[in-house]
Amino acid sequence: MTPMHRPSFALAAETGPGTARLRVTGDLDYETTEELVGAVRLHLGGRPAPDDLHLDFAALSTCDSTGLSGLLLIHRLAGVHGTRLHLDNRPSFLERFLEITGTLEYLTAPPEQETPGQPGEPEQRPGAL
Amino acid sequence: MTISEDSSARPRGTGTGAAWDDAPCAVVAVDPSGVVVGANTVATGLLPQAVPGARLEEAVPHWLADAHRRLTASPSPLSGPGEPPGGEAGGRILRAHPARGGNGVVVWWLLDDTELRLAEDALRGERERTAFLAEVSETLSGTLNVERCMEATVRLAVRHLADAAVLIAPAAGRRLPVTYSAPDGPVHGTVEADPETVPGLSEALQGFPPAPSRWIDPALLPDWVVPPRFDGPAGSVVVTPLPGHGVPAGALVLLRRTGHTAFSRSEEIFARLFAARAGAALSAARLYAEQAAITETLMRELFPPKLRRVHGVEFAGGYRASELKEWVGGDFYDLHPAAGPDEESLIVLGDVCGKGLEAAVLTGKIRNTLHALLPMADDHPRMLGLLNGALVSSHHTRFATLVLASAARVENHIRLRLTSAGHPPPLIVRADGKVEEADTRGSLIGVLPRIRARTATVELAPGETCLLYTDGITEARGGPLGGEMFGERRLKDALGECAAMPAEAVVERVQMLAGQWVAGRSHDDMAVVAITAPRTVHLSAVDGHTRGRYTA
Repeated sequence: MTPMHRPSFALAAETGPGTARLRVTGDLDYETTEELVGAVRLHLGGRPAPDDLHLDFAALSTCDSTGLSGLLLIHRLAGVHGTRLHLDNRPSFLERFLEITGTLEYLTAPPEQETPGQPGEPEQRPGAL
Repeated sequence: MTISEDSSARPRGTGTGAAWDDAPCAVVAVDPSGVVVGANTVATGLLPQAVPGARLEEAVPHWLADAHRRLTASPSPLSGPGEPPGGEAGGRILRAHPARGGNGVVVWWLLDDTELRLAEDALRGERERTAFLAEVSETLSGTLNVERCMEATVRLAVRHLADAAVLIAPAAGRRLPVTYSAPDGPVHGTVEADPETVPGLSEALQGFPPAPSRWIDPALLPDWVVPPRFDGPAGSVVVTPLPGHGVPAGALVLLRRTGHTAFSRSEEIFARLFAARAGAALSAARLYAEQAAITETLMRELFPPKLRRVHGVEFAGGYRASELKEWVGGDFYDLHPAAGPDEESLIVLGDVCGKGLEAAVLTGKIRNTLHALLPMADDHPRMLGLLNGALVSSHHTRFATLVLASAARVENHIRLRLTSAGHPPPLIVRADGKVEEADTRGSLIGVLPRIRARTATVELAPGETCLLYTDGITEARGGPLGGEMFGERRLKDALGECAAMPAEAVVERVQMLAGQWVAGRSHDDMAVVAITAPRTVHLSAVDGHTRGRYTA
């Protein structure tokens, strides 16, 4: 049995004027998504917030449902900061996953102020995935 | 070293004139007939009887007289191999080293070993306690079962701290769970008793703030606290609280037969260390038991129902939970059977993202909401839109993907309406073995402000099957290389061989192949549901309740 050599998760950040770029390597899943969301929060929290946030998925190996939940959260956070989210270099499996889940258009469309949820929602964990 | 005849006649305390007269240790000289012929100042201080002229066996403790007898009985060596004789005298611990004087006189040098012995005893005691505490930790951490933990605590307490022990757990209602020590092992019971009747007990059971151990009058001890078959009255009793992780773990009552009502300082510290370990283990066991009970309750609620044939439509389901036993899984399915033969049954299969309690709560919400929305089942997109509205929260982006399938029998066919909400589309197995994807797409549920969904209508001829599945099947990793996904291709190939099979057989086949693929490796939840048009049916018999009248 050949042991699998799956790349471990890694993030690399680059910032330019008005732009933040995060290169995501490895598996975006239950164990790693929090790290990506944390990094995004950090970049969006800058003053001023970047106009464009690029997530570069050229080196992404897998993305599970928690990973997608993270991307949806990132999209929401970017909307709040008025930052445009770009999902760059999407591998075909990610493209297909976003298509099946009906989120491709939503995640790649220009940002709009969304007002999800209802007042009095009992959940008490802001930002939880 | 020699002594002379006349020196032996000197009076006690004044010395013998010998070299050892002023020695800093006790020295006693004994003649061959066993009579003391000399003792220095230190010796007479320790052994007042050891004056010249006294018989040795009457003047010194037995151990020294015995040693002298053994020495004079053996002809040559002064002291044999091994430890020199030793024992207590005048409140000190002495070690006796003999030397031969002139005329057969033996001079006993009695070296004071008291401090060394005390230090050695303390060290030994400390080592024993350390070993015991290590044993306590090991024994108690070895179990997450509350009863066994209580037993172990009582057993260990009796072995090292007291003659009998009683462990009282915080009350479950009005009754106190109690574990008593007994000669042939601890016994459990529950007692309807007021903890206020034992001084210090109710504070100890509340656990916070930490109460100190309390020595109480044994006469005040109610009968229910005395262990069964405890022989003799309790001479002393102490109530020791067991500190838990912020929750009271209980109280330990230690009973001693002797009347001395205090631990030594080291015993006190020791008892506290023991209580801390026992308390930690007990509260961990209790928290675990609570969590296990919650999980079991949720599991019972979330476990997929047994599917059956309803009004001429065969339903079968299979669920294989991830064996990563972190918590309840995120896959589910439900069948809402049609009320009559002309109506549709609704089956829902879904996959909630994430794990654990939060996923379980979302699953429960979805199942309940869909149940409430059943009257709208004739319009899947609307039903999904309402479900989405009920689930979207500004606080998280947890979502679910699901498939709705409404099925009704129309003559010998089954008419299906299938709607995917962000879920892999159902697969249709035709009578000739062709496998098609149902043409339905839709957005996942629970995050997007607006969702879209497109329903597909499919007809199943007799022997044809529609399979709903979660990605636990297609993404199961395994195979000959161990890391390959089972994939849609393999699933479709497998289904191609399932034409004309009954629903149960299709489910079993898919589960078996996926199980062989992962071959014991870890996998995600896997759920499959098959909807099949039976091959031969007497429609008149089909009412969903009279199984066994089919000829299929």
